[in-house]
Amino acid sequence: MTWFKIALRNIFKNGRRSFFTILAIGVGFAAVNIFGGFESYIFRGLRDALIYAQGEGHLAIFKKGARIFDKEIDPDRYLISGDAKASARKIVTKYPEVILMTGQLKISGLLSNGDVSTVFIAAGRVPSDMQKIRSQGHGMIGEIRLYTGKPLLDSLSYGIGLSSGLAKKLKAGIGSDVIAMAPTTDGQINALDARVMQLFESPAASLNDKLMFVPLTFAQALYDTDGNDRLVVLLKNTRMAPAMKKRLNRAFTDAGIDLEVKTWEEIAPFYTKVKNMFRIIFLFLFVIVLVIVVMSIINTMSMTVMERIKEIGTLRSLGIKRCGIIWLFAMESTLLGFLGSFLGLGLTLAGWLAVKMAEPTWVPPHITKRVPIEVYLVPEYLLLTGFFLVMLSLIAAVLPARKAARMNIVDALGHV
Amino acid sequence: MALIELKDIYKEYRLGETRVPALNGLNFFIRPGEFVAVWGPSGSGKSTLCNLIGLLDIPTRGTILLNGRDSAAMDDDMRSRFRNRSIGFIFQSFNLVPVLSALENVMLPLEIQGEKTAMAHQRAKKRLESLGLGKLTGNRPHKLSGGQQQRVAIARALITNPDLVIADEPTANLDSKTARQIIDLMLDINRTDKTTFLFSTHDQRLLDHVHRQILLQDGRIVQDRIYSEPSGKKKETGCDLV
Repeated sequence: MTWFKIALRNIFKNGRRSFFTILAIGVGFAAVNIFGGFESYIFRGLRDALIYAQGEGHLAIFKKGARIFDKEIDPDRYLISGDAKASARKIVTKYPEVILMTGQLKISGLLSNGDVSTVFIAAGRVPSDMQKIRSQGHGMIGEIRLYTGKPLLDSLSYGIGLSSGLAKKLKAGIGSDVIAMAPTTDGQINALDARVMQLFESPAASLNDKLMFVPLTFAQALYDTDGNDRLVVLLKNTRMAPAMKKRLNRAFTDAGIDLEVKTWEEIAPFYTKVKNMFRIIFLFLFVIVLVIVVMSIINTMSMTVMERIKEIGTLRSLGIKRCGIIWLFAMESTLLGFLGSFLGLGLTLAGWLAVKMAEPTWVPPHITKRVPIEVYLVPEYLLLTGFFLVMLSLIAAVLPARKAARMNIVDALGHV
Repeated sequence: MALIELKDIYKEYRLGETRVPALNGLNFFIRPGEFVAVWGPSGSGKSTLCNLIGLLDIPTRGTILLNGRDSAAMDDDMRSRFRNRSIGFIFQSFNLVPVLSALENVMLPLEIQGEKTAMAHQRAKKRLESLGLGKLTGNRPHKLSGGQQQRVAIARALITNPDLVIADEPTANLDSKTARQIIDLMLDINRTDKTTFLFSTHDQRLLDHVHRQILLQDGRIVQDRIYSEPSGKKKETGCDLV
């Protein structure tokens, strides 16, 4: 207890110096956690945009090899037939973790207004299933409307949505009629009439003059198939995805079905790249903060040792061992780490509250509307940062503390 | 058996390439209960001798026996333990820990020993009360006078009931009245508890009251006079050795 008192009282005795050290630790703590909280918000936003807003779901089921080989060369070979889909549905819907399974078919071809034709790529999806997937999204994702016009309907198979650039190219608006042409899976040219029900902004600018959304039945009719290029599975919880992937893969193998399951992360390289980029930025920030904290603690503790040489000599003469002196200064430094982390927690909460009250907005990737910027409070980050900073404070004290412990007692007692 | 026995003790300091001798072949012993002063001019080796006996430093050559134990056989931790349990230190500038109260300063050696805080608190309080500082236990050193600080330092030196108290110029920073009180206090403790005191001093006020005077010059004992036995019996013996 006495050693704790000595450590604590010395911190308060050198109030200004201790304050700046605690402030450095606190600001570092807050910087790491506010950035970490923003990073978590970005990750979650991207993830939810992919899974819910874009309807990619948590798991995607492909025919084996479809993700390795270019299925466009031989689309029929990698399409999941209606029978295979039915068999897969029997297995997938057995699991209580599954909310729904829906088929999708990505198509491409030419879109024409009678005068002008242009290339399109489209996702054929079941409109009611897409609505259900989107409704499961948290917060803004579940509520945000990403198009103008009317929703696509299962019952209106020729009602389609165009990206704004594509509509502009074809001088089409809501209610306009267009013709979609594409080769069927047998290689015959097929054409279908369609009506523009909605306009939207493509999440990727490069696709804004090509992308359309069509009902699955439209896509299948254009390709003249009952197949799907993927089956999308929505789970109750995103964290279940890796485990469910394993279970479904095993179940498909056991049932002799030639399908393989991928998680949403595996089929979203953009997400992984953004995540990696943020991780690197976070690491840089963390290293910079650690260096500042370590330097300021070493500086503070070195000055403390210098000022208390005589006290060190006295304590040694009273019988305290060398390790006791190290322990004393390490405790003081650790206390600085604790107080700094505590201040950092306060600053993080203040930052979090400020962002919450100011409600700044931005247009994130993969979403075309302005959404509020958020900073999440991530308990794991808070705990880990606190732990790291306290441990660093302890380690940073070792050097000056060792120096103090190794001092010649007589020289220390004679120090003025 | 002698409490302290020095055999052929040499101590040299290095100043760059130069070797500076501080002690040159000292031989003497101190018996339990003695009240002895080592005195002499500045640079004669008084403090060096006290530092060696107090296990704060190591001789260049020679043997120091403390209660029959050879100090050379002790490692740093053993020396620390020995200092804590068997030696009390009183310094010229008191050397109290500034952030601790008088009571907490006195508790320190007991806390180092690992004594429970409640017990250490009780013993330290009792010791301070016995030295007339019962009302100042909560005061920090800067709120105490020089005499009060030295009393706290004495209480701290005595709290573990050591065999030996080493005091380096304990009265040098005190006025005459306070110095006299401190000397009387130490004499009283020596008389009642039979605690051995070893002083390094050239303060005549203190030298007038010690039972034995060892005069050092250039690192050698030039005079060793005993004025009374540890039992209190008057005895005037001694000789000039040079």
